[in-house]
Amino acid sequence: MTAPQAEFDTNVRLAVFHAAAGSGSTPSPPELAHQLGTSLTEIDASLDRLAADRVVVLKPGTSDIWMANPFSAVETGFEVSAGNSRWYGNCIWDSLGILALVKREGFVETPCPDCGELLRVDVARGELQPSMGIVHFAVPAAHWWDDIGYT
Amino acid sequence: MLLFRSEEHLAAWLEQRGLSQGGTMTLEQCWLLAKAWYSDKLDRDWRRKTLDEAMAAFAEIGLEGDFWDLTKR
Repeated sequence: MTAPQAEFDTNVRLAVFHAAAGSGSTPSPPELAHQLGTSLTEIDASLDRLAADRVVVLKPGTSDIWMANPFSAVETGFEVSAGNSRWYGNCIWDSLGILALVKREGFVETPCPDCGELLRVDVARGELQPSMGIVHFAVPAAHWWDDIGYT
Repeated sequence: MLLFRSEEHLAAWLEQRGLSQGGTMTLEQCWLLAKAWYSDKLDRDWRRKTLDEAMAAFAEIGLEGDFWDLTKR
């Protein structure tokens, strides 16, 4: 990768993540092209490189963002709140990661997969507050990226 | 990765699906991992962790063994 290309990809990454952190939604390729004053072809190529480097995950067969970890571009069972802001995380790790990334007090809500009870995990003053629950990973770490939609 | 109410709820869920237990961690470990992975992702000079850095981050919060070994394929 050339230095200008790496710089361009960094700008695309920052545009994606700042948008997700601010509004809760990830920008579309045309929105990115408009914001960065470049062509859709350049944006699509950059998103492909970012996906190859596992910085984002694209919806299969498209250049649309599915995950910009820790953010999910689609609704999930992991809702993250801070003040009036709302996001969706991809999993409990990513959901807590959203609060770590935006550096705000907030909480994660997700139903227990067994009983459906809504579990709430709070972060305040940069610290996890005492919360109930245990985190389970179904897939060994070396295989998480075999199917990042199921870990 | 999912959050269960308790060990008992996890065990019941696994049994219902005929699944064996994978890896578990406490919420405190998960929070430390979340901070290690994502707190700098809005920085211009952010980069993905190398395999060694990722495994060192796991080890730092007590996640060791085959399940957490990123080289074990």
